Amino acid sequence: MTIIRTPSNTPQPSADKGYNHSVTIEKLLHSNPKLWRGCDIAGQGFRGQSTGFPQLDDILPSRGWPQSGLIEVITPCWGIGELQLLIPLMRSVVEQGKWVLWITPPHMPYAPALVQVGVNTDQILVVKRDTSCKDALWSMEKALQTSNFGLVLTWQNWLPGKVLRRLQLAAENGNTLGVFFKQHDSKYSPSQIRLKIKDSLVRSNNKEASDFSETEITVINARGNFRPLTTRVNLYQPS
Amino acid sequence: MKNPDDTDQLPPFPASKNSITQIFRLSESTKTIKSKESPKCNKKQDSLWYALYFPQLEELSESRQKKLLSELASAVRQVSSEISFHSHALICEIRSSLKYFGGMERVHDKLAPVLNALLQQRGLPGYFLYAASPTVTGSLLLARSGHNVLVYQKNSLRSALGRLPTNVLRLSKEQNCRLYNMGVRYLRDIWRLPANGLHTRFGGDFVNLLNKALGKAPEPIHNYLPPPAFSTSYDLPFELKNLDRLSPVVDEVVAQLCEFLRHRDLCISHLLFSLQHEKRDNTEVDLALRRPNRSQEHLIMLLETHFSNLIIPAPVTGVKLKAKKFNAFMGRSNSLLAEDRPTSTHGSESDLDQFVEQLHAKLADNYLKCIRSVSEHCPEYANQQTDYGEPIGESCNGDGHRKGKEQEAQFVALAPRPLWLLREPKQLVLRNSKLYHRKAVTLISGPERIETFWWSGTDVCRDYYVAREASGSRLWVYRERTSDKNWYLHGYFA
Repeated sequence: MTIIRTPSNTPQPSADKGYNHSVTIEKLLHSNPKLWRGCDIAGQGFRGQSTGFPQLDDILPSRGWPQSGLIEVITPCWGIGELQLLIPLMRSVVEQGKWVLWITPPHMPYAPALVQVGVNTDQILVVKRDTSCKDALWSMEKALQTSNFGLVLTWQNWLPGKVLRRLQLAAENGNTLGVFFKQHDSKYSPSQIRLKIKDSLVRSNNKEASDFSETEITVINARGNFRPLTTRVNLYQPS
Repeated sequence: MKNPDDTDQLPPFPASKNSITQIFRLSESTKTIKSKESPKCNKKQDSLWYALYFPQLEELSESRQKKLLSELASAVRQVSSEISFHSHALICEIRSSLKYFGGMERVHDKLAPVLNALLQQRGLPGYFLYAASPTVTGSLLLARSGHNVLVYQKNSLRSALGRLPTNVLRLSKEQNCRLYNMGVRYLRDIWRLPANGLHTRFGGDFVNLLNKALGKAPEPIHNYLPPPAFSTSYDLPFELKNLDRLSPVVDEVVAQLCEFLRHRDLCISHLLFSLQHEKRDNTEVDLALRRPNRSQEHLIMLLETHFSNLIIPAPVTGVKLKAKKFNAFMGRSNSLLAEDRPTSTHGSESDLDQFVEQLHAKLADNYLKCIRSVSEHCPEYANQQTDYGEPIGESCNGDGHRKGKEQEAQFVALAPRPLWLLREPKQLVLRNSKLYHRKAVTLISGPERIETFWWSGTDVCRDYYVAREASGSRLWVYRERTSDKNWYLHGYFA
């Protein structure tokens, strides 16, 4: 079981030099987040920030959320569990002393709930819902460029690829993570990761546990993943 | 002859018998100017300050006063380049322009109609009081007295000022009273008093004011700067078809701009670069910068990028650069050593403020909110929205805030709370003993009973449940225990 595998189409280095090469390659892979091994199946990198859900970590290319870039979260409707998915990330961002900006959430975030899950509300800013789309995107770009924000959440439905590309660049420059919540998937989006969240009821044989539901998360596209991968996560911790 | 100081500053004046009457020249506007314009004056050019006092401004609000004064100042700029603002007054240096305009009278004739018209436009009586003297404070005091006096020599200032009543000093009521009780009615009475005594009785500011008026103390003034404007053009000696050849010209024009920006300590965020053609409309390059900048290389790089995909309809005959929007320059200091950490965190603090300012400027004021949880039993009131900036002030009194939060943590830990709370609870439909929101709703856990506000009219009496909609959303629903026993949706766990 080797972790390092060279792609089959690249010429194999000779046996004695191979070891040294792989060490330098490994070094490079660690130092530069823009490099990844093409043959790596998801879950073999080490650089990401854990999502807090081991099943999801396993199917993400860097075993967690990337350091910077755009993440698209596609849900059939708002409120299906997409925020629960990001709570651990939000918590760690706030703990790092960075700010979280919510741009045009469909409802006002409820501070007691955030406090309950351990997110300090002092470092949360909200841009109100009735802001125009243009202003919202403008503020998103600015926030992504500013190093104070660790996470920028936006709820937008209409986004051309050009805008996304620009935001992706802004996020990479500012070393910030931007999250888009959308209701429609666009195939050719340049985002780093596209996730689809779907609710799935687990039909267990046990009658008593019939209300037990899990959320199905599909990583449609992620830099470093070859194909869509799906996992099931229980987002709501049993209370 | 008697006093060597007087004679050396005074121009040769025929009737110099009585030293007091010579030195002190008081005139209604400009009767004595001609004798003043002697060659000796030019040798030692003291500045002459022309004060314009607008008593009608006193009734206006502070902000209107400021606005009006800067409007008036831009009108005064036609006669002087050094203008300073004082309370209800403008003071400008006039000696340097006397020769050009041909005397005080002309200057006044030039200014008065413009200023009066401006004042009348704003619905104020069109008049102003004026005076000129060799000191800023002196002319202000003279103008306030309403005498419309011109004093050309520093040594005649003492007697000219001596005639003024003490109320021109704008002292506090108590100080006025004290002066009155001392038998002081006019400034000349003060001249007789010893400076040490005045200092102990009225304080340093008072003595300093008098010294300034007499020209014995320096008077630093803050000059009026007109709002920045920059435009420059360059006519090419020959027509250019290739935009690459334009780069030396662009370099020079941008260099001028950057020089201007450095002098005024500004950055630019929007500029218009136009290429002129013969018999054609100008080709315009509208350059709006994302981040205000004043780096020459950056601007040139941007312009050249624009030129690279520009198609010009005709050869270029000239270029013109016009600055459209300036920003204040925000400098940032880098640390000398390679330890970036402290500087980076420091810089990011100001970045945040800058960002929030920018957001405020872009969005309307109340669009940016902070949220905070409040110790309150009723769910609607447990969330507090404040404008950004307010909570920072509150978190300064660290302990109380922190304590509140701890209480909060205890309070909210009891039962699940949704991440999104609806502003208005939404009534659910009950059909065949099944609940429906958008889809069918099934209860998962609960109830959590919340009863509060029984003391006020709006009694809150609810049983909260966590529910699951068929689409997969987790809902926070409640049933009213009073009256209709309706079901409501109150939040999403999202």
